[in-house]
Amino acid sequence: MADEKKMGERTKAASDFIKGDTDSAVFLGNPHIDNLMTIVIAMGAEIWADRQRMRIVEHLLSTKGKVTTEMIEQYVPTNEQKAAWAAERDAMAKRVYSVMARDTSGAKPFGEERKFN
Amino acid sequence: MMDRRTLVGVGAALTTAVSSFFGGRKAEAKAKDMAYPKGTMQPRGHVERLERFANLSLESRQDFLMSFRTWANGDLGRTANARADEILKSKGIPKDNQLSQAEAIELLKDDPIIAMSTRGWCSAQQLMWSGLKEEFEGNADRYLSEMEAADKMGPGKLELNANLKLPDYVKHEIHIQPGGYVGSEFAGHMYHYGTNAFYTGRNFNDELHVGSANNMPIPKDGKVMRILDVGCGIGQLALALKERFPNAEVWGIDVGGPMVRYAHLRSVERGLDVNFSQRLGEDTQFPDNYFDIVTSYIMFHEVSPEGTAAQVKEAMRIVRPGGIYYPLDFKLNGAPRRTAYGMYRGWMDHRWNNEVWTQKFRTNGLPDMIRKAGFDLNEKEPELLRGFGILNATKPA
Repeated sequence: MADEKKMGERTKAASDFIKGDTDSAVFLGNPHIDNLMTIVIAMGAEIWADRQRMRIVEHLLSTKGKVTTEMIEQYVPTNEQKAAWAAERDAMAKRVYSVMARDTSGAKPFGEERKFN
Repeated sequence: MMDRRTLVGVGAALTTAVSSFFGGRKAEAKAKDMAYPKGTMQPRGHVERLERFANLSLESRQDFLMSFRTWANGDLGRTANARADEILKSKGIPKDNQLSQAEAIELLKDDPIIAMSTRGWCSAQQLMWSGLKEEFEGNADRYLSEMEAADKMGPGKLELNANLKLPDYVKHEIHIQPGGYVGSEFAGHMYHYGTNAFYTGRNFNDELHVGSANNMPIPKDGKVMRILDVGCGIGQLALALKERFPNAEVWGIDVGGPMVRYAHLRSVERGLDVNFSQRLGEDTQFPDNYFDIVTSYIMFHEVSPEGTAAQVKEAMRIVRPGGIYYPLDFKLNGAPRRTAYGMYRGWMDHRWNNEVWTQKFRTNGLPDMIRKAGFDLNEKEPELLRGFGILNATKPA
């Protein structure tokens, strides 16, 4: 494929830059909880990627009777498939993450006793 | 449209063909062999103007992150906004009370839903960038080869200026893009796919740039021979302007070498004769009165106040009498009053999305600068992009 020159022989266009510090931002009071949130979103993306691959495999098997890696990678969805898959993707994001928007104003502390009649 | 890997083969094979007096067919065959050696994955083609990602997994992950972003900006954002209203109410603060930004931040920053919304946005943005960085830097050889092949091809030309002294204000990682616009060889690649996510799928085919180009006002005498897009990034507006004005000499300049390099790659792919050059908007190197139209696409909010003043002055020098200067950017005139949650989000964007200059852009008096430079300014029409500002300036004839 590409001519494998050493990186030092390459034409370069980049220069020095000023690094930001957003990687150290803490919004949830504990950096580990912030990290967990990133993990949860990343997992959603990984699951969706596997689901897409599975969907294409199923489609190829049912329409062509065989499947290769190249066929999966090269598959171009129809407009109908694109619309249907986008709707499913958006529904999944909503289904999985909607709990994040739940009302927490009545959250109770762990040690609070519940009063029964 | 030629795919980028064939481009590599064509570039290399044509070089061989020319030096060996080979014919075109032989060069073409060699190009194919070089682009697709046995056992490697074929390029995945284009979706209209957009080259598909190199593999399905990356494409799917980025697709999902865009969907999450849309949901987070929608449902979660509305919930966070409503929560902000509740907090104001609980404190007895009228909803329309104009708080200072510091007061708004203090009031809202510790609420769990608002914090979750902020974290969700940030995590999705970080994951989007890290996925792109991993792909392009992890396969640097391939992507650099594609750009090197295109560097020497036309119809337009590419000028990189390794000795250009960059002002500090351009060196930030705007939008937390790794390396910003100047610090990664793949700044253009990352910007292209990253901003597609910002537009949540509405700009895969440069629709917003094409729309802006098509709405661009022209000088009263109708003469459009030369056009400049300042801070052109990956050249989306410049290319769209070339499509609208095929006979004009069109230039795009940007401080980011990797940005103009990628812009040139796209112009080669699409066969559009646009020149891209790494230059400063403050010092464009063009002759006086050279351009009929000088424009920029959502650039000034990423420029320091000093840089803004210098660029407006430079625009006045290079626009010809009767020519147009239209720097498209966020709305300044008649922008809606910001709620407490809007103030909080504004801070988030500035501080954590690394929009270093946006807040100053809102107060630096760009319309006045344009008038003081000597332009006649029309702030009423035409609107290039719905919801954005109108700064339609004409240099007096």
